[in-house]
Amino acid sequence: MGKRTPIQNILFYTAIILVLLFVLAPYVWMVSSSFKTTLEIQGMKPSWIPQTFTLENYRRMGKTVPIFKFFLNSLIISSGSMICSVILSVLAAYGISRFRFVGKNLYIVTLLSTQMLPGILFVIPYFVMFTWIKNKLGIPMANTYHGMIFTYTSFALPFSILMLRSYLDSVPREIDEQALIDGCSRAQALFRVIIPLAKPGITAVGIYSFIMGWNEILFATVLTRTDTRTISLGLLQYITQNEARWGEMMAACIISSLPIIILFTLYQKHIVQGLVAGATKG
Amino acid sequence: MKKYRSLAYLFILPAVVAMIFVHIVPMAWGIMISFRDLNVFNIRDWTTAPFVGLDNYKKGFNPVTTIGQRFWQSVYNNLVFGFFTISIGFVIAMGVALLLNQPFYGRTFVRGLILIPYITPDVVVYNFWRFIFQARIGIFNEMLLKLGIIQERVIWLVGSNTIWTAIIAAIWKGWPFGALILLAGLQTIPTELYEAAKIDGANWWQRFRYVTIPFLQPVIKTLMIMNILWNFHAYNQFRVLFGDDPGRYAEVPSTLIMREAFNFFRYGLGSALSVILMLIMLAITLIYLSLFKVRVVE
Repeated sequence: MGKRTPIQNILFYTAIILVLLFVLAPYVWMVSSSFKTTLEIQGMKPSWIPQTFTLENYRRMGKTVPIFKFFLNSLIISSGSMICSVILSVLAAYGISRFRFVGKNLYIVTLLSTQMLPGILFVIPYFVMFTWIKNKLGIPMANTYHGMIFTYTSFALPFSILMLRSYLDSVPREIDEQALIDGCSRAQALFRVIIPLAKPGITAVGIYSFIMGWNEILFATVLTRTDTRTISLGLLQYITQNEARWGEMMAACIISSLPIIILFTLYQKHIVQGLVAGATKG
Repeated sequence: MKKYRSLAYLFILPAVVAMIFVHIVPMAWGIMISFRDLNVFNIRDWTTAPFVGLDNYKKGFNPVTTIGQRFWQSVYNNLVFGFFTISIGFVIAMGVALLLNQPFYGRTFVRGLILIPYITPDVVVYNFWRFIFQARIGIFNEMLLKLGIIQERVIWLVGSNTIWTAIIAAIWKGWPFGALILLAGLQTIPTELYEAAKIDGANWWQRFRYVTIPFLQPVIKTLMIMNILWNFHAYNQFRVLFGDDPGRYAEVPSTLIMREAFNFFRYGLGSALSVILMLIMLAITLIYLSLFKVRVVE
């Protein structure tokens, strides 16, 4: 590829800066709007920098919509489904990665195809199923934390298994064999040796499930009410037919992005590896 | 390792059981419901809903009925949306991937930054785009006016422009993933190949066409199949940008089915429509797979 000439250099960095502007401009608008007064937002002259800087939106956002309650709901539901899908996918991925068994290809194809099915196919059956379980078995499912954790685990599972499997494939089999020779049982080999080695992959899977639960709105629309409303859905409540509280909504958007941005900054390397592996090897 | 075969089933058992309950059973249930007139009166016990045979499917398939017409319009909208989102998104992703494949100071940092749209929650992204697209107070119209691209404020969130609004926002959200995958693919191409091509007198386009593209082909195929499938999952962008009822121009199957089922309580009809949608997806996927001979299992 060689060295760039000065002119090529200028063009190159201009292109990079343009890409970054394209990516970052909407965020600048979101952040700056969250510090604007309602009067300024509703004014006819939109500008990138607030004329009067105010924290009013951050103070009021919790009063207009119980956004902190929704934040907590999302935290419980997303963490719950993260834990469940990590446990299930570690076991399943280890099974696929280390053993040959009848029906293995069928199982992988099933995983791939369920991952491809659109959520809408499942929404109505879930609603009917949850209603049926409540009426026949007396167990409430809709509008409960466990119901949502169940739902989100199920949707994070196929991709998690495939992603983790491709990670485990990169851990040499000899390591298991050595552990077995040293007198470990299969389970011990998995928990004492393989899991510590597969930490980056497991982290990626965990974060993937967490983010999935945090982002989801299709099922949340149908299966949650105020008690268990998730934050993504709660964000929509700032705009009603009567009024649009854009400033508060932008503030709430920032608050709700925080956990994801923090996770991403901390584990960027793992997430990137996981995404690439899941996409190219799946 | 054959000795431990039975152990394998023990490891995958929990996930298999979970998936039977969360995927297979609901899917079967959904198909059963689609043959019934399940509505607000009999939702408490679905078994009491009258069996109506293929009625729901006939309604959904027939473009003459109101619902059939809406359904096919929504499928058409989704195809238009997918075509532009995927193709333009791919061009941007490829361009940026080629750019980031060059060595420069701060490359890892820039790669992290461009991933932010992908990682930001859908609802947050489409909410701030909804704000950006506001006709009177939004910055998008303001910028276009200043640049002289438009003379009057455009209405983005209602009416015939809506599909383009969704396309713009979805491209912005989606391309970073493509760029990341393509960049990973580009990094596996040995630099010697480019050197050799250069010595043979190939210009940049020839190097791109005959070295880069063949090497990237498997990655591009997987990326495309994922994009095509995900395209039919489209719901969040339309729901957040335009609300419960996106209107004729921006209706997609998911928003239509949601409204039929949960606003009008036609659960049976909704199920039938989602089964039809799945069949359409299946057909498109099979066509794609056979055209490009993608191998699903190694």
